[in-house]
Amino acid sequence: MSELKPRKDLLDIESLDLSEIEYVLSNAVPFKQLFQRSVKKVPTLRGKTVLNLFYEPSTRTSSSFEVAAHRLSADVTNFTVSSSSVVKGESLLDTIETLQAMRSDYIVIRHKAAGVPGIVAQHTKASVVNAGDGFHAHPTQALLDAMTVREVFPEHQGRRVVIVGDILHSRVARSTSTLFHKLGIEVAYFGPGTLVPAERHGFLRRLMSWEEVFDWKPDVIYLLRVQLERQEGAFFPSIAEYHKMYGLNSLRLNKLRQLNSWLMHPGPVNRGVEITDEAMRYERSLISTQVENGIAVRMAVLHWLKPENGVDS
Amino acid sequence: MSVEKSRLFRGGRIASAEATEFVPEDVLVDGSGTIIARGKGFEVPADAEVIDCTGCILVPGMFDVHVHAREPGQEHKETLATCSRAALAGGVTGCVLMPDTMPPVDTGNLVKSVMDLVSEQSLIPMYQAGCLTKGREGKEMAGYSGMAARKVPMLTDADHTVPCPYLMRRCMEYAKDFGVLVTSHCDTPPLSKGGAIHEGLTSYRLGLPGIPAMSQEIGIDRDIRIAQHTAGRLHISQISTTHGLKSVQIAKEEGAAITCEVSPHHLVLTDASIRDYNTHFKFDPPLRPAADVEALVQGFIDGSIDVLASDHAPHTEFEKSSEFISAPFGAAGLETAVLLIFDRFIRRGVFGWDLLIERYSNAPRRLIGQQPAAIREGEKAEFFVFDEEGQTRISSDCMRTKGPVSPFLGETLSGQIRGTTLGSRWYPVG
Repeated sequence: MSELKPRKDLLDIESLDLSEIEYVLSNAVPFKQLFQRSVKKVPTLRGKTVLNLFYEPSTRTSSSFEVAAHRLSADVTNFTVSSSSVVKGESLLDTIETLQAMRSDYIVIRHKAAGVPGIVAQHTKASVVNAGDGFHAHPTQALLDAMTVREVFPEHQGRRVVIVGDILHSRVARSTSTLFHKLGIEVAYFGPGTLVPAERHGFLRRLMSWEEVFDWKPDVIYLLRVQLERQEGAFFPSIAEYHKMYGLNSLRLNKLRQLNSWLMHPGPVNRGVEITDEAMRYERSLISTQVENGIAVRMAVLHWLKPENGVDS
Repeated sequence: MSVEKSRLFRGGRIASAEATEFVPEDVLVDGSGTIIARGKGFEVPADAEVIDCTGCILVPGMFDVHVHAREPGQEHKETLATCSRAALAGGVTGCVLMPDTMPPVDTGNLVKSVMDLVSEQSLIPMYQAGCLTKGREGKEMAGYSGMAARKVPMLTDADHTVPCPYLMRRCMEYAKDFGVLVTSHCDTPPLSKGGAIHEGLTSYRLGLPGIPAMSQEIGIDRDIRIAQHTAGRLHISQISTTHGLKSVQIAKEEGAAITCEVSPHHLVLTDASIRDYNTHFKFDPPLRPAADVEALVQGFIDGSIDVLASDHAPHTEFEKSSEFISAPFGAAGLETAVLLIFDRFIRRGVFGWDLLIERYSNAPRRLIGQQPAAIREGEKAEFFVFDEEGQTRISSDCMRTKGPVSPFLGETLSGQIRGTTLGSRWYPVG
């Protein structure tokens, strides 16, 4: 492996270059192999502390980071802040002061406001990992998605992924498509015009119907979780209509089966909305693999980042 | 109080809105603050203070029709005193105060109380605008007669639009009888609600909720129609969109009494300037893409845009140090307006001082029924000394405003304001 510039934080996918992406993805592979052993722990981060700071509830991502940190032998503190207790505006600087005083080596942060992990990163010596900020970015999700695609397609260049659903409000769609684009994986979007950013925003291929999706012969169909509150914003008339238009039902699943397409979803799944119960049992579903790869990728990320504090003398 | 001495501004060249050429003449101001001589070789009192203006130009004092001085109620951000010092440091010798204070200025008595404070605290003339609706809530018409009696220069809900077109119609009809200008922050709240920056590629990339251009455009169209229907005078604040500007151009061709203003930041920054969630770039209306900026510059030159106004909106650094989405809109602008226009346009030959003086000194004064400030014998002295060869570093330490937040912090701009004279007083900068 060639020498990489040391990196303190992982805030988004845009700022990563290919060698960094390769470094993380290839390091995730041996970490994943570890999971097959009876002892799944390595001493890499022994004596280091990881602070899991979640301003938005997320059992999955939070647990995934927690498991990843434990398997690296780090000490983990989970800190979930209910958003109601965060006073608008004035809390951020105070939070940063508090965090700095805790002298954590790694801070994993999820926040409903885009950009917050970056602000925290500027003000702390700890390595900051963005675990999702508003609609902006979710870089470890993108990395685990890339790892998952590369496992089924070692020759991933030119493979096709259709992302279905609420692209507009999805940090997953942003980060994952940015990363896929960097890796030479083709991305198309499928969803209602209200939830797919306009063509004038550039760079995207939009498919207009399931027929167009099938004709494009996607290697992966990537369903996004539909936030039920979008209905109130008049993005679509009803959940039933969304399911009828964009949901993955058995008929559509059969077409995908004929195309040998794989199924991905960042979770948690809304059964009966973006996907039916039956489709959840699809033999080419990669949803559990994504969860497993999430831990491996997050181990690789924590292993890679270099905090600026606590230099051992 | 001691009587001021005469003051001689010697060796400079005089700029004006009427000529692109500067006139190399000296200016003598007497102890009462009146220009008593302009020219060369006139007699100067022996005890006159001499201000050496060699290499500099003398520019009529600017007038800003869009200033948030925050007093009363938000004195932690700005006061009338600090605001007036910021104005003088920026070559601004008069301004209109927005009524979005706490409480909002929506009665004649409140206008009077602020104007009393102005006469005590401010170094420059300031004119308090009144609200269009009670409490700026957009629900009921405010009492115009009392405010008109206190000579408000305009009625406006500042950075709020009047959401209901019916109420806006009645406000314009009723205000017309008092001969007071109505200024509108044109917007369509259901479209802009929750937004933080211009809706486009940058908002998508940053994952921030957008404010679409049509939010302002529809607001402008609506208010122009209401103004035409009621045959009222309408001033549109802070224009930022190409289509909004086109609507203004059409209305003007049709003979409507419409004027509009643009801010320096909308002339020099685009939404792509917003990097790293820097809240100092968060404005309402938001920074727009390059195509809009080009259209605005063109409109500024061709006269479709009448007035330059800073939208001076100071906040504390602490208030701006929050999540982008919850940070307040606006930044300090009085001290950087002239410098920015010089650095970005005049120095590069895009247009001359004559245009800036027209848009930022003469037209704003005419807008509220005042005489332009001229550097002329018999007039009150009201001008600043500008060194085109100098440089100014924008830093929060050097700014006079109490809320020195600005997207230009850390930049070094060409040009330097040496000082501003207002009446018998001379306020050197630096």
